[in-house]
Amino acid sequence: MSGKEINLIIDGREVTATEGEMLHDAAKRGDVEIPVFCYEPKLGEPVGACRMCLVEIEGIPKLQTSCSTPVRDGMVVHTRTDQVKHAQSAVVEFLLVNHPLDCPVCDKGGECPLQDISIGWGPGKSRMTDQKRHFEKPIELSPLVAIDRERCILCYRCVRFSQEVAEDEQLQLLERGDRTFVGTFDDRPYVAPFHGNITDLCPVGALTSYTYRFRARPWDIEQAGSVCTLCPSQCNVSFTVRDEQVKRVLARDNAEVDDGWLCDRGRYGFEMFGAEERVRGPRLRGGGEASWEQAIAKAAEALKAGGAKSAAIVGDASNEEGYLVQRIMREALGSPNVDSRPSRGPSRETQVRLDHPDLSAKVRDIDNADAILVLGTDPLHSSPILDLRIRKAIRRNGAKLAVATEQPTALDGGATAATHYAPGGATLFLSELANCLRLPNEGHASDVAEVLRDAGSVAIVWGDRIAREGEGALTALLDVAAALTLDAKENSGLLEVPEFTNARGLREAGCLPDAGPGLSDTSRALTTISVENARPVGMATEEIRGALESGELKTVLLFGVDPLRDFPDTQAWDRALTAANHVICFSTFENATTAKASVVFPLETHAEKDGTVSHPDGRLQRVRPSASRPGDIRPNWGVLAELSLVLGHDTGVSSQPSAFAALTEAVPFYAGITDADIGGRGIRWQDTPTRANAPKPDEASGTGSSKHSSEAPAEGFEDPVPEALTLGTYRDLWAGPITELNPPLRFLAPQQRVELSIPDADRLGLKSGDEVKVAQNGTSIRARVAVRERVSEGTCFLLEGTAEANANALLGGSPVSVTIEKTAG
Amino acid sequence: MPETRMLLKNAEDPALRTLAGYKGYGGYATLEKAYRELEADEVLKELEESGLRGRGGAGFSMGKKASFLPRGGGVDKYLCCNADESEPGAFKDRELMQRNPHQLIEGIAIAALAAGIGHAFIFIRGEYDSQADILDAAVAEAYEAGYLGKDILGTHRDLELVVHRGAGAYICGEETALLDALEGKRGNPRLKPPFPAVQGLYGGPTLINNVETLSNVPHIVNHGAEWFKGFGTEQSPGTKVVSISGGVRRPGNYEVELGIPTRELIYGLAGGPAEGHEVKAFYPGGSSSPVLTAEEGLDLPYSFEAMAAAGSMLGSGSIIVADDRVSIPHMALRTARFYHHESCGKCTPCREGTNWTVKMLERVVRGEATPMDLDIVASVQENIIGHCLCVLGDSMAMPVGAMVRKFRGEFEQVMAEAGGRPDAERIAVVQGAPETLGAAT
Amino acid sequence: MSPVDGPGISNPNLPVDQALTERRIPDRSSEQVPELHEVDCPAELRERIEQLMSRYPDRKSASIPALWAVQRLYGWCTPEGIRQAAAVMRVTPAYLESVASFYDLLHTDPVGTHKVAVCTNISCWMRGGDELLDAFRAATSDEDDIFVTGFECLGACDIAPMASIDERYFGPLEAAEAQTAIEQLRGGGEVLPEKALEKRPLPGGPDA
Ligand SMILES: Cc1cc2nc3c(=O)[nH]c(=O)nc-3n(C[C@H](O)[C@H](O)[C@H](O)COP(=O)(O)O)c2cc1C
Ligand code: SF4
Ligand code: FES
Repeated sequence: MSGKEINLIIDGREVTATEGEMLHDAAKRGDVEIPVFCYEPKLGEPVGACRMCLVEIEGIPKLQTSCSTPVRDGMVVHTRTDQVKHAQSAVVEFLLVNHPLDCPVCDKGGECPLQDISIGWGPGKSRMTDQKRHFEKPIELSPLVAIDRERCILCYRCVRFSQEVAEDEQLQLLERGDRTFVGTFDDRPYVAPFHGNITDLCPVGALTSYTYRFRARPWDIEQAGSVCTLCPSQCNVSFTVRDEQVKRVLARDNAEVDDGWLCDRGRYGFEMFGAEERVRGPRLRGGGEASWEQAIAKAAEALKAGGAKSAAIVGDASNEEGYLVQRIMREALGSPNVDSRPSRGPSRETQVRLDHPDLSAKVRDIDNADAILVLGTDPLHSSPILDLRIRKAIRRNGAKLAVATEQPTALDGGATAATHYAPGGATLFLSELANCLRLPNEGHASDVAEVLRDAGSVAIVWGDRIAREGEGALTALLDVAAALTLDAKENSGLLEVPEFTNARGLREAGCLPDAGPGLSDTSRALTTISVENARPVGMATEEIRGALESGELKTVLLFGVDPLRDFPDTQAWDRALTAANHVICFSTFENATTAKASVVFPLETHAEKDGTVSHPDGRLQRVRPSASRPGDIRPNWGVLAELSLVLGHDTGVSSQPSAFAALTEAVPFYAGITDADIGGRGIRWQDTPTRANAPKPDEASGTGSSKHSSEAPAEGFEDPVPEALTLGTYRDLWAGPITELNPPLRFLAPQQRVELSIPDADRLGLKSGDEVKVAQNGTSIRARVAVRERVSEGTCFLLEGTAEANANALLGGSPVSVTIEKTAG
Repeated sequence: MPETRMLLKNAEDPALRTLAGYKGYGGYATLEKAYRELEADEVLKELEESGLRGRGGAGFSMGKKASFLPRGGGVDKYLCCNADESEPGAFKDRELMQRNPHQLIEGIAIAALAAGIGHAFIFIRGEYDSQADILDAAVAEAYEAGYLGKDILGTHRDLELVVHRGAGAYICGEETALLDALEGKRGNPRLKPPFPAVQGLYGGPTLINNVETLSNVPHIVNHGAEWFKGFGTEQSPGTKVVSISGGVRRPGNYEVELGIPTRELIYGLAGGPAEGHEVKAFYPGGSSSPVLTAEEGLDLPYSFEAMAAAGSMLGSGSIIVADDRVSIPHMALRTARFYHHESCGKCTPCREGTNWTVKMLERVVRGEATPMDLDIVASVQENIIGHCLCVLGDSMAMPVGAMVRKFRGEFEQVMAEAGGRPDAERIAVVQGAPETLGAAT
Repeated sequence: MSPVDGPGISNPNLPVDQALTERRIPDRSSEQVPELHEVDCPAELRERIEQLMSRYPDRKSASIPALWAVQRLYGWCTPEGIRQAAAVMRVTPAYLESVASFYDLLHTDPVGTHKVAVCTNISCWMRGGDELLDAFRAATSDEDDIFVTGFECLGACDIAPMASIDERYFGPLEAAEAQTAIEQLRGGGEVLPEKALEKRPLPGGPDA
């Protein structure tokens, strides 16, 4: 967009605008409201369909649509002349020709653009006395969205969302003229991960949400802004609250984070927080209800017993919670064993280099990058809103996309280059890529290299799962970044897609085995600790598991994690948690892990919690309490502070603000950032002066955290059995409590499914739908076959985190190969 | 006054459809001359100077439109021949394609040369299946003979020509809807600007012309602009293939010099209404043109300027005659029904205005309306005109508006008399087949 | 061009919660671009569509011709046929159905193999188009595999009242000739030879 300032006259008023912007938008800033229905810039080019925005432009005989007319210098525009008023009231009257006048019973009543515009610009009464068109009254467009086609004004918004934003191309206009209606192929339900957005877009009551219909009326609700913590995207949301309960989730447009969209996970996920399985108060082993005092005393006792032989793993937690947990470990117990990753991750010095401000990309960089590399993650499943962001970059800015993953992704179709390396092959691929970027060759990475090499700006969206391959994967990634000189380029850098929602916040708050708050070097930080034999560098999650099993560790505190569902090697975790003397769980729901706990504490949800989280791009955001906490749930910062106190260590934290203050004091690059700075939109610490306090890679050298020996890249190791396939696993967007404990979403719960290439399926005599046993030395799980064109030969893929047949059961530390055997056709 | 046949010359000879037959009458000589001897700009200049006006409806200068395309190479430019001919009353393009397909192909090739275009399409309405077959065969012959394809006549110029069949939607005749349909989408009109000459098919500069317009091109380039301007009037040079139908004895296509008296066309050539009947009104330029009463129209010269001056338009040059037996309110209803059925539904005034108008006119002919409804009908037409995305809405509003205005008395009479008649919606139509069912040739 | 795959490729045909929607059959949720191995597309249809795509700078331009091919093969644009074309063209079935449903000649519901379209527009109406349509309707019975419909102007007002029978034009027709035409269709013989448009001379006769 050309930023040139120009002046025009709208209704006699001088208005300054940027050249090329649409007249409607310029008028808006000049406080002239021009009514619109079809116009929504987020949906791409204007369509000029509804004709509501017609205005008079001097020198042009016909009225023009202000939504599609770029402003020019010296333009003279009239929006309230008789000619314009005549057109506006004509259009409103036409819109009402087929629109039922049933506002009193319509779910949109009171928050309906058509209602408002009819009153503001309409003729007052319609002269239409004939029959209106008839459609079957509201029917389900999807299990979540009802469509009332009689109310539809054919504004194109919903179908444009499907085509131009989500690009699922499922929602379409069918038939022609006034017979046109919004529908799907063969009347099938519209099932797509972002489809809930159409209910926000619809300017009338045609598209409504089953989860909200008739639950409330505009005058007895209020909106409360917060942040969704159901995935690392951390989209900004607005909760519609009635009687202190969440009734609906709406997008709270933040161009720096979510572009005003929500995935269905974030939109409908809240329904699970009312589930039976919700932990509503503290309890002790055997399900016995307990008072907070008892529970905290019991937990303190267990931790004391463990002492330095305790460990903590933090997952679903705010920055403050993470900060307090690591203080309990390090300062109250003298144990360095804290982690916030499901298996293992890079060493501190590598982490420091990865997180270096010069190298970190912000979400907006995706919009402006010439080339984007999606590496080792499928954003659709791991950070859905980025999927839309990347599509937008390709569609609107012609950005080139390269995809390099184990498994085909939803973005492959729009990619200039898509490569699928063998599971566990990221390290190998990245080192090839780095070489190929430096001197072109014809290797696996050449196509991807072509896309990136000469691009002026490159954003790399990478999944931290590649760290499961070991340090080598990340040093290779840094090498690629160096080869592309990302640190020197505009709109360029690394954007992490972590497995844990608040991974960045937690590690910055000190939840790493070898790094304290602000990624400080614990080998120095811990010199203050009095406790004997405190090792400066603690154990990573994987090692904690081993140490619990061997008895080296006694007590483990699990905060917002469910190892038995979400971590690799389920059996090993089961053994570990059984062997542990004490397991202390902070959990939202009862699950297999809490069943093993001696003390269980309830967690708050993002609708109830008060705290900060850090977006993977470094943006500090505020989660605000919007709904009341069910049962006997208490703020978790308070519980942790008290637990620490009982353990004889006063954190000095007496309120959420004081917890936040303690955090910003402890993290040098959060220093001075206030709640006001964060406000409603958040703030990237890299964009503040404190950026200077980021740890420097050089000082990070030394210290024996080299225990994370970077093992050799996992090559395509030889198969034990000839027809064995290399197994890759991934976390499906819909696997877990989000669908299992959530009636409206239950239909999305994925069945275990093994995805195979066509040649392998043929070789094994399998076809889609067959029931099979997927086995790996001894262990096996049941799955249905799904043959996929773009799965590469020799590999197969399973889902993690499913209720039954969870692929984590088959996983160990490194890639495994499995055999597949048909059980039923 | 006899016809002046330029485009329909030798059209009675079935052999004209074949390459050999066409060449037998001197066909493709102009293409050879143009490709071998002329510069693109010379050809373009000739077309501009000829003053040839578009025959598809808008009557815009063909040469000028071609000159709007960016000159030279670099970008991919396209030519779309509009053969969608779906406006009630129009059937001239059908005749031209059926009887003389090579004339059109030659015209396309020369126009493409003039505008430096390498990819052309003929968008033909799906109903014209046999005409499309004829075009397919002719195009194949032309490729065979080296008049199309790569390196035409060894001049290092390429032209691909694809015959693209529509699937039944009048709106696809609107040039931007045509582009969407050709891109494989629903045929919805696009916002203008950008105009096709700047950003059209696949985003490239695109020249869109009607079949008859392009069929004129070889003749102009062959004989020169001056010669062409010798026919017709100053503002409407050349001949016009006029489709005459409805209440006349010899309906059909007649090629005449523009500017001849309209009476000559309707009475002289088409034989006028059946014995004992008179012309009551007629659409001078297809169903989109405001009807003219006999008094208003019969003695006007049949030209773009004269029809415009009379508050109507020459449009596609298709005359539909209503004789004194035809009920104007019923004709208005048929007209409105057509546009209602064909409205693409994208923009509000057209989508809702057409369906509302139909509902009101149905009540009128059923005798269930009041004079106040007639005022509403009239005002709804006013509310449509100038407010739509394309002019389809206006194409209903203008003729219907004109009928209500000019025949209000008859509307009121029908409302008064039709009451309860079961056949209320179809009374008063011309009976009897036309005369000229000439023997097969 | 935009990515043809979208979100959800790894969630194909999600089952639908019965609790919320009984009417839905689990394996019939909306789908992305079907993969070729998921539809059994007759070889000739696939080759035809691939050849059609090759004629255009952008493969999507082939959607109307491809739908014609589907209709020629199955008599109408069947959901299965649309899925097959979609798989070959790498677009969603929804996209093709949306296109098909826009156009009068593409049928997204079953119709007879023989198609009779009678023009009822202005010029034909004046000369008895409505009566001709009635006559065709009366002449056909439910047993017939013949689809009779009224139609807007077919571009043959010179032979009003007229009809398009299996994509060929005939006129001017007497109401009585409807019966004849239908019988000829049933018998598989040539239809109203002497009323074929092709046989008509120019109204003005040969060149002067
Ligand atoms: C609703 C509508 C239908 C039209 N149908 C046709 C048509 O069938 N054939 C045609 O040549 N032009 C048609 N036009 C005019 C075209 O938009 C365009 O002006 C014309 O094809 C340009 O060619 P010309 O300059 O040679 O006339 C139509 C316009 C509208 C608004
Ligand atoms: S359903 Fe709503 S959003 Fe979709 S077209 Fe109709 S009015 Fe617009
Ligand atoms: S808002 Fe401009 S046409 Fe709809």
